[in-house]
Amino acid sequence: MTETPPEGGGKVENPRQGGDYAPSVAARVAVWHKAGGIAVPLLTTLLAFFIGGLVVLATTGKNPLTTYKAIFEGSGLNWFLEVGSYEIGIPWTESRVWFPWDTSFNSFAALNLQQTLIVYVSLVLTGLAVAFAFRCGMFNIGGQGQYLVGAIVAVWIGSELPGLPGLLHILVAIVAGALSGAVFAGIAGFLKATVGAHEVISTIMLNYVALWVGVFLFGLGGPLQNDNVGGESVPVSNDVLEESKLNVFWGDPLLQGLHVGFFVALAALVVYWITLNRTTLGYEVRAVGFNPEAARYGGISVARNYVLAMAISGTFAGLAGTLDILGWQFRLNTNDIFISSIGFVGIAVALLGRNTAIGVALSGLLFAALLVGTSTRNLDPEIFRPELASNLTLLIQGLVVLFVGADVLILYLFGIRRRARQRQART
Amino acid sequence: MRFRSVLAALVMGVVLLAGCGSDDENAARDTTPATTEATETGTDTGASAGPAIKVGLVTDIGGLDDRSFNFLANQGLDRAQEQLGAEGRVLVSRANSDYVPNLSTLAQQDYDLIVGVGFLMAESVETVAEQFPDTNFAIIDFSQAAMESKPANVRGLLFKEQEAGYLVGYLSGLVVADSAGANQTISSVGGQKIPPVDRYIAGYQAGAKAANPRVQTLNGYSQDFVDQAKCKEIALNQIARGSSVVFQVAGQCGLGALNAAKEQNASGIGVDADQGYLGEHVVTSALKKVDVAVFQTVQAVQDGSFAGGEDSVFDVASGGVGLGEIAASVPPDVVAKVKQVQEQIAAGEIVDIPETVGGG
Repeated sequence: MTETPPEGGGKVENPRQGGDYAPSVAARVAVWHKAGGIAVPLLTTLLAFFIGGLVVLATTGKNPLTTYKAIFEGSGLNWFLEVGSYEIGIPWTESRVWFPWDTSFNSFAALNLQQTLIVYVSLVLTGLAVAFAFRCGMFNIGGQGQYLVGAIVAVWIGSELPGLPGLLHILVAIVAGALSGAVFAGIAGFLKATVGAHEVISTIMLNYVALWVGVFLFGLGGPLQNDNVGGESVPVSNDVLEESKLNVFWGDPLLQGLHVGFFVALAALVVYWITLNRTTLGYEVRAVGFNPEAARYGGISVARNYVLAMAISGTFAGLAGTLDILGWQFRLNTNDIFISSIGFVGIAVALLGRNTAIGVALSGLLFAALLVGTSTRNLDPEIFRPELASNLTLLIQGLVVLFVGADVLILYLFGIRRRARQRQART
Repeated sequence: MRFRSVLAALVMGVVLLAGCGSDDENAARDTTPATTEATETGTDTGASAGPAIKVGLVTDIGGLDDRSFNFLANQGLDRAQEQLGAEGRVLVSRANSDYVPNLSTLAQQDYDLIVGVGFLMAESVETVAEQFPDTNFAIIDFSQAAMESKPANVRGLLFKEQEAGYLVGYLSGLVVADSAGANQTISSVGGQKIPPVDRYIAGYQAGAKAANPRVQTLNGYSQDFVDQAKCKEIALNQIARGSSVVFQVAGQCGLGALNAAKEQNASGIGVDADQGYLGEHVVTSALKKVDVAVFQTVQAVQDGSFAGGEDSVFDVASGGVGLGEIAASVPPDVVAKVKQVQEQIAAGEIVDIPETVGGG
């Protein structure tokens, strides 16, 4: 590695300028960094909603605030506003404790919130899949493919192997689904580490591999197509067995209630944070992410970290696919495979969440609420014609991604204000 | 920054996927002509003085803009709202996770009839119907008898595609006989080899043979209902092998087949909706009137004659399947003969139209 000497000029000026009060500047920068980490995504989101609101106003002539209220209520988040004194059962036990919210599942708010949280599970996990690779300096676009591989393996294990006791069956399916995602993503990491194939290209291509393998397996005459009576004409897999379905802890188990995979997603957030911030592996991954050359110089195996980071990413995404299958979907048909885009939304979740655990937790909730809240069952058909309603989510989603890309702009606007203030202070 | 442009492209890709990824069998473009057509036939619109009922429609992931049966089903519901005074609500399913919540939301709101569109929803309709045994459900293109628990409050709405196929086949057989070339070949392009598609094709081949015993038939499957290039390739190949009429049974993909027919000066036949608007080369279309099925089901619920636990089969006699507009280029005597066959089918004089395609 050869270092070129700095070209003099510009760079030297700044330190000298700030030299007079160096400690306070350093402190301020630190605070600024922390505040910026929250403020910028918040502003990004607000800006996206604001512009989305303008679009709503322009296209429908209705008050955007009522629209957003409808979306909010459609997402079921208003459930949290109805505070009272209730009881809740602790999962896997008979005991009940005091709880501020009504957990009976007859209200629409509760029904909607269950749906939001079901989507939240997969968004958090696919978001983490993108975020982890990001921290290692890689852009994992293959979340969708890894998700599908996890789902395919889960549906296969879940519907075969009869006779395994329930909990073991579930564990086997989850481990196999997550591992298959890891292996599948590991391919891209391995290719990058060994021959330098760019992960963006290889993960995109692997998405197609997963998609078409799935279509082949569950398509008509495919090896895993269902064998129910009368089902020969439907390109769908077998249902997972009753014993390998995840326990539903809130809502009607037959009407898509919230499954215990929710806790797995929450645990994954914690695991993500610990792995990145409290382990050697995480330290190395971040070091490679900051600067692979410097990391290599410091004795870190860059190749190894590329493979590992991708594999861990794939584990998260594979887990998302597995939980979806075992939690509520129970089967895969070829059209599900075509239409699914949860892995791509995960990219937006990770970007908005700035690849941090807390960020992914929050932005995942935002996107899940958007996805569920804008479904036609929650929007007034008078205001939003059913043909158009679903486009609103995509629009706001697109705006958020756009403004995440433009966060530099927001920082620049901050900068202008600050400079103006400084100028004022000087005069 | 480069990453972000990739991301933008991806997001657009997602939008596109969501827009087109999910056609079922026999998706078809344009529907306006088809619907006006359907309005005239097969429905008895005089009796609108029933009780006001609430009807919910849940689309599959194709969405309302699929120009195929989600769209047609919605047309049927709209007409029921206008003519029967029913209160309609359409819920679009954007993902398969929407099916159960959509269906159960409607059921909880005491809708009198809930229609699920397409076989993709079969499992969900079955599940929800079991949970709400007092609500009436109907599902398009899936047989109630094929459901595991055979719920008594579900009615399957099925179509005899082979009769529509027979009619267009009969017409094609006569058209190629008239052109008097030595090579009398007609062909069909299917999407996937699934029963509704095969019923069309089997009827088509049988009809052509009945009209003209010398006719040769070709058939191919694109394994796709969306990508037009695939169907076009198959159609071009068939035309090169001598086919002069191409029947598309592949939804959007099939539009490529019709396009190939146009380029090669062959004739095309549309499917599901009337596709004559595509040009003179489309001599007619085989219609599957999902809108009529929905309308009649709403009517049955309103006048109390709705019965779950069995299937309705829509055929030529009931006006549920039929023939689209016939192009001016078809000689009048051919048109007259085809109309005659249509009446014979309606009268039950032509039976035993095959439902499966042998060989390829």
